[in-house]
Amino acid sequence: MSGIWIIAKMSLLENSRKQVFHVLCLLMLAVIGSSTLLTIFTEGVQIKILKDLCMTCILFGGAALAIALGATGIPNDVESRTIHPLIARPITRTQYVVGKYIGTLITVALGVAAMTAAFAVLIYGYQHSFDSFLGIAILFTLLEVAVVAAIATTISAFVSPAIATVVTFMAYLAGTIKIGYIGGLIERSQSGVSKAIYSLIYHALPNLESFNFKTSLVHHDVVPASYLWQVAIYGLCYIAFVLVVGASYFSSREV
Amino acid sequence: MDHPIRTENLRKVYKLGRRKGTRTAVDDLSIEVPHGVVFGFLGPNGAGKTTTIKMLLDFVRPTSGNATIFGKPTTQASTRRLVGYLPEQPYFHKFLRPVEVVCMHAALAGVDKRDIRRLAAAALERTGISEYADTPIGKLSKGLTQRVGIAQAIVGDPKLLILDEPTSGLDPIGRRHTRDLILQLRDEGKTIFLSSHLLSEVENTCDTIAVLKRGRLVAYGTPDQVRGGDQKVTIQVAALDKQTKESLRFAGADVEERPTAISISVLPESVYDVMRVLEKAGASIVRIQTERESLEEAFLRLAA
Repeated sequence: MSGIWIIAKMSLLENSRKQVFHVLCLLMLAVIGSSTLLTIFTEGVQIKILKDLCMTCILFGGAALAIALGATGIPNDVESRTIHPLIARPITRTQYVVGKYIGTLITVALGVAAMTAAFAVLIYGYQHSFDSFLGIAILFTLLEVAVVAAIATTISAFVSPAIATVVTFMAYLAGTIKIGYIGGLIERSQSGVSKAIYSLIYHALPNLESFNFKTSLVHHDVVPASYLWQVAIYGLCYIAFVLVVGASYFSSREV
Repeated sequence: MDHPIRTENLRKVYKLGRRKGTRTAVDDLSIEVPHGVVFGFLGPNGAGKTTTIKMLLDFVRPTSGNATIFGKPTTQASTRRLVGYLPEQPYFHKFLRPVEVVCMHAALAGVDKRDIRRLAAAALERTGISEYADTPIGKLSKGLTQRVGIAQAIVGDPKLLILDEPTSGLDPIGRRHTRDLILQLRDEGKTIFLSSHLLSEVENTCDTIAVLKRGRLVAYGTPDQVRGGDQKVTIQVAALDKQTKESLRFAGADVEERPTAISISVLPESVYDVMRVLEKAGASIVRIQTERESLEEAFLRLAA
């Protein structure tokens, strides 16, 4: 276990000093800050737009960080051979992969925390109170980002940083639209083979929309606790499954 | 007690693709590295030295054969608890600082949390880079980065050090410092597996040597045993007539005319025959010396 934390700490130190982390965080903070310029709406509408915009910003910012940092960590270590002194120590490749993932996740969580803090300040400035559901919505956004980071880490165990970034981004997009688009393809497909292929893709991809509680936050919808638990367990299981695949492959890979 | 390193018929074949076939990087390598020695692992570029090290550290898996470290299979992570490793041209994350890298390696080596900072500082001090401990690695020169590599390898008191080209990129002072450090570490009872191209470095530090050529072991033993070859006796004389030169060549000597003298090289078993010829000719002997094959000459003979 300590091996995982040491690799995670190193990964956190490295990621948090990367320019891409600072640039993406500043960019998203700037977008959140600029949402105060939306003054043409009535106050109630303005708050709804503010929440919608800020939640979207946190989600995209977090996902962008997860892809940029998660898809590059392992392949960069392999290509630059920085991995050699690390795995020459008494740690397993699985510990290395999980450590890199946790390090990436903590870095992304720091970025999400900064954006959330800015969002919370704005919301408090407008309505002088916090939504009770805000924390839960942010927590599930973080879970969605954690799923994206797990996918990025696993894909990066197989391929180069550039390919891992592109493939993870495509998986992220497909995971966001899968219910509507791929679900529709399954319903419309005539042949059994294509139906099986679409079903395989449908089940392999994460259902990222299930983590998105932005609409519930904006419109004050009530979400049952049982549903939240289901989504949380689904997310954690998906992360575990994806990381097992990545670590299994990386354990036998020659570096 | 188990050998720090033992390989049995170790073989690694890389697949280069359908058209290019395969390349055998290491072929039937069997070596035993004794305790408390500096073991020189020599060979020209592409001889299979780094591939062997990669198999010892489980970066790549052997195609056949097996390797053990202190009697344990190299595929077990716990085997590497007693190992410190310096890669050839070490690379570290450029945003990290030397002290962070060495502390992290101390932690990975299992050093107690309370001792990490102290031992990391001692390792940096020992490799002469204390003053750069807080400088980002991306801003360090190649030689200083190499020293960070040595510091991370020695931290945590490993019993076996695998050093791949440890003096690469170092200036003469750094090279001397590293050589002295290697000898100090050996005197502390550590076993050092040293892969190097620098034959003078190997000659001055190694107790045992193995020479690889195209993946195969071509020589193995102490530097004296590896040097082996033919010991020669060189006799310099002031002048010689043509008939004496012919007699010397007939006795098995090489005669070479030099501006100031004539040099006669002869194998030890023919010295008496040559001396008799010279005595008969009344030659004036200027100097007699024995010449041994240098490690460089032996290396060229074995590996070129």
